[in-house]
Amino acid sequence: MISVSNLVKIYEGHVPVNALKSVSFEVQSGEFLSIMGPSGSGKSTLLHQLALLDTPTSGRILLDKTDVSNLSDHMKTDFRLRYLGYVFQEYALIPELDALENAFLPLMLLGYKRKDYLKITREMMMKVGLADRQRHLISQLSGGEQQRVAIARALVNNSKILFADEPCANLDTENKGIVLRLLRKLCDGLGQTILMVTHEPEQREFTDRVLYLRDGRLEKEEKISEEVRTNALQHGYRTDISEPVDEIKDPPDAV
Amino acid sequence: MAYNDANDCWDYVSIMWNDLQAALFLVFKYITRGSKGTTILTILVTMLAFLQINLITSIFSGAINLAYKQVKDNYVSNIVIQPASDEDYITQASLVKSRINSIPGVISCSSRYAMGAAISYDPDKNGKDVKSIGWTIKSIDPDEERKVTNIQDYMIVGSYLEESDRDQIIMGREISGGFGASLEVQSLRGANIGDEVTVQYNNGIKRVYTIKGIYTTIFPLSDMGVFVTEKEMESVLGVHNRASEILVKTDPVYSEEYYMRELRLAGLDKQELRPWIDFIGLISGITQSFDIIKRIVYFIGLVVAGVTIFIVIFIATSSRRKQIGIMKAIGMKEKIVILSYVFLAFFYASVAIGLGMLTLEYALKPYFINHPLLLPMGNVSLLIIPADVISSIVSMLAVSIVSGLIPSWSVTRENIIKAIWG
Repeated sequence: MISVSNLVKIYEGHVPVNALKSVSFEVQSGEFLSIMGPSGSGKSTLLHQLALLDTPTSGRILLDKTDVSNLSDHMKTDFRLRYLGYVFQEYALIPELDALENAFLPLMLLGYKRKDYLKITREMMMKVGLADRQRHLISQLSGGEQQRVAIARALVNNSKILFADEPCANLDTENKGIVLRLLRKLCDGLGQTILMVTHEPEQREFTDRVLYLRDGRLEKEEKISEEVRTNALQHGYRTDISEPVDEIKDPPDAV
Repeated sequence: MAYNDANDCWDYVSIMWNDLQAALFLVFKYITRGSKGTTILTILVTMLAFLQINLITSIFSGAINLAYKQVKDNYVSNIVIQPASDEDYITQASLVKSRINSIPGVISCSSRYAMGAAISYDPDKNGKDVKSIGWTIKSIDPDEERKVTNIQDYMIVGSYLEESDRDQIIMGREISGGFGASLEVQSLRGANIGDEVTVQYNNGIKRVYTIKGIYTTIFPLSDMGVFVTEKEMESVLGVHNRASEILVKTDPVYSEEYYMRELRLAGLDKQELRPWIDFIGLISGITQSFDIIKRIVYFIGLVVAGVTIFIVIFIATSSRRKQIGIMKAIGMKEKIVILSYVFLAFFYASVAIGLGMLTLEYALKPYFINHPLLLPMGNVSLLIIPADVISSIVSMLAVSIVSGLIPSWSVTRENIIKAIWG
């Protein structure tokens, strides 16, 4: 699904910063990959390059066999809209829109008819456990709910890859558990490919594999065992609040 | 995934329509769910700028128009025909007038004699306090003059001349010096109806006239007239069927230039033909000054409106820099973001213009009709010229579009990462 070869990112300036130094790796379709590393290791920079939010200095990125390394800004924008989802660290939602409107924005931009994007988005809101909060303004939602709206927005366009940049950084324990279990279930239920940057070791246990970055280089990889993952799902960030997602089987309607 | 540029797949118009809908959706939400206070304040300030433009320009337009109307209605009518440069009079005045009246669009014409004279007024009739001025006395045929000027409608005291009057004279209040006259340099300082004035014409003939009437049009140029009847003046000058000038009243459907061409074609090619604008005298300076002030106020109003909207949009885009970065990150095109802020600015301007128009038409206009401004050219009310209003509307909308475009364009040009994380 994702193939990265010799990716280099140098931030030009008075003192050029080499944020990524020839990073190469691959991600399989349906895989939930976490990227970890200390501050300044280049994990967010890597995510930005992969999510086409920034342009690498050199190297090659294949997203589902499409070489996206040299797309124009216009084509990158269109590619993000059609094929990628991005969940930001902070609840990156538009305050003037309610939860449903925030979530259906990508479909509206893609030109869906109103009745279609409402149907698809409502289904997605149910899947992220916000069926009863759709018409609430963002300011009326908790941090966890806002992040779930952001996830719904990232997935509503049937995105091939979901990028999540420390999606739990600003959440309390309860909501961390909710969001991580949701991501895991999206991966298992929808076959969603997910790349998540995190700095909390506990969170990596919800994923399939971990890439460790240090000083812009890929330091090591770690495969998360089924046993660890199952344990994390059962006990990690566990609270007594109900799960938002009971069942995720069917992907949202194809775009 | 086989990726192709969207332009290859979708119809361009469909994409544009979709972008437009998305931008309208966003701006609708900004307005309905954004800060009501900001919206109201922005609209209010923009409306005031619109009113400033149109109120001041309408006052000046009203003043300029009134001055011109006064000149045409109460001073020289539309066109003045004067003798050829080498002649003292227009000869065969009756024939000339019948030619003039035969031209389609000419409403009427009136001939006048003009003669310099010294006018003396002795209020106590004892020769001790005689007030004397040098002035030009003109003659009128009252019946003809009624069709060309409206002086007869502005008599303050006494009455207008009759054709048979021989020892009667009428004058404007600025010459009589009473009834609120403001120019005291050339006045008889208080002459009233029934008083006698002695007129020493430049040809040496001396006559005593009784003041039959005093008029005021509140327009100084017009209120400085002194008139006797045509018959009286012909006896003074010893001429007949001649004229020092002929005033021509025309239908405004055509311009004065058109009628002047027609008059020349009718045989008046040797006489001097002059439009009313040549006689506005000191009013010319005032109207030119008003016109300059009008343009300056117009420009300032536009700048105020533009800067107001610019600041609001600039603050809105600056405070939403991160949000705009996020919208771009999820795949929103730059042009949708820009369009949404341009529409927002357009909305502010449109509502402000609408409210401004209502205020102008239903509050300020009636107020100024009931409480006109007292200016030297008369009682000035608002003159809302549609072309000026349309021009201000178009200008304000254009300024609003630019004011919405520049800040939003500037922010959307930023790198997504920089916009989101600073």
